[in-house]
Amino acid sequence: MSEAIILTVPYERPYQGVVRLVLGGLAARLDLPYETLEDVQLAVETILANEAYAVGEEVSLEVHIDGEFLAIAVGPLESGALTADLETADDEAGGVGLGLLLAATMGEHEVEARDGRGWLRMRKPLATGEATA
Amino acid sequence: MSVPQEKNDRELLRRYHHQGDVEARQRLIEQYLPLVRSLARRYSYRGEQLEDLVQVGCIGLIKAIDRFDVDRGVELTTYATPNIIGEIKRHFRDKGWAVRVPRGLQELNVRLSKLMEELTIQLERSPTIAELAKAADVEEEEVLEALETGQAYATLSLSAPSGGGEDGDDLDPLESLGEIEKEYEVSEDRAVLAPGWKVLDERERRILELRFFEGLTQSQIAQQVGISQMHVSRLIRRSLEKIREEIAVDASDLHPNA
Repeated sequence: MSEAIILTVPYERPYQGVVRLVLGGLAARLDLPYETLEDVQLAVETILANEAYAVGEEVSLEVHIDGEFLAIAVGPLESGALTADLETADDEAGGVGLGLLLAATMGEHEVEARDGRGWLRMRKPLATGEATA
Repeated sequence: MSVPQEKNDRELLRRYHHQGDVEARQRLIEQYLPLVRSLARRYSYRGEQLEDLVQVGCIGLIKAIDRFDVDRGVELTTYATPNIIGEIKRHFRDKGWAVRVPRGLQELNVRLSKLMEELTIQLERSPTIAELAKAADVEEEEVLEALETGQAYATLSLSAPSGGGEDGDDLDPLESLGEIEKEYEVSEDRAVLAPGWKVLDERERRILELRFFEGLTQSQIAQQVGISQMHVSRLIRRSLEKIREEIAVDASDLHPNA
């Protein structure tokens, strides 16, 4: 199965709740374990909470599911600040750097350029049979 | 902060404290308003109007100016920042989540936490939303809403000391059953290197260590530490937020007018 969900919200803190709820609805639809949902929410929230990554008034979330992976792209983002944070050592970042956080919660992640803007692409492997929709 | 700015602050503080010049006090308040606004902005996503938080932050600033000891070699920014943040946090703590979250959802959140434990043991994995809804005999949407209120509460309760009853311990009796038995040397070592690590208590450090450096899942951490998975989740979020705040305060000290 391959599905895509696209959500665009204002890049403002109150909308993080909306994003969390949408991700929750998605997890319910796909029958994902609560822990998987928690990981995805934490990764996405961490990005949306950082105003330094905002390049416009809106931010989009693209979610793709292909059965074995949950792929999420967030953007457009300020790629300079994002890349710098991904490269910052954990100690310098206060203990848990962005790269470590994304690796632990999502797995693969990279910054992709689209129309001159940065998009963070993350790919979380799902356990066999985890997505059942 | 630049040296002329620091001298200017000291002069105004002296005029206010030694000569009772209230105009000097007013000028200090105006000068530090951008700092208050910058700090208030960080908390404005919690459902409060930014201007209201700026007003609350101003009370912290005024207290800092009034209590400032001119003869000590500390900059006003250094002294005022924790005062402003403290006043804003106190504002949220005083309001608590009971103000905005319906009691039914609070109770469902507590029930879900317990069901999560039971189902994790029973299924030997983290339950899905549907499984939680079925066990709680509610709709999936209600589960999502209750889980969301739990996150809102976690965010609001950032200031509460861990294990102190304000971070959810009093809501979930299961969470007080266990004790952390592992040694803390590794996380203590990290505290020497990472500035944000120092603001965490031992349990918070241990949980971040297990989650991010040892790769354990929330369920595994919950089992090892002896608290619920939901509480592990809350502690992870709170710890990361505390680190972010600490790093941001450090930055504010360097750039007070940013």
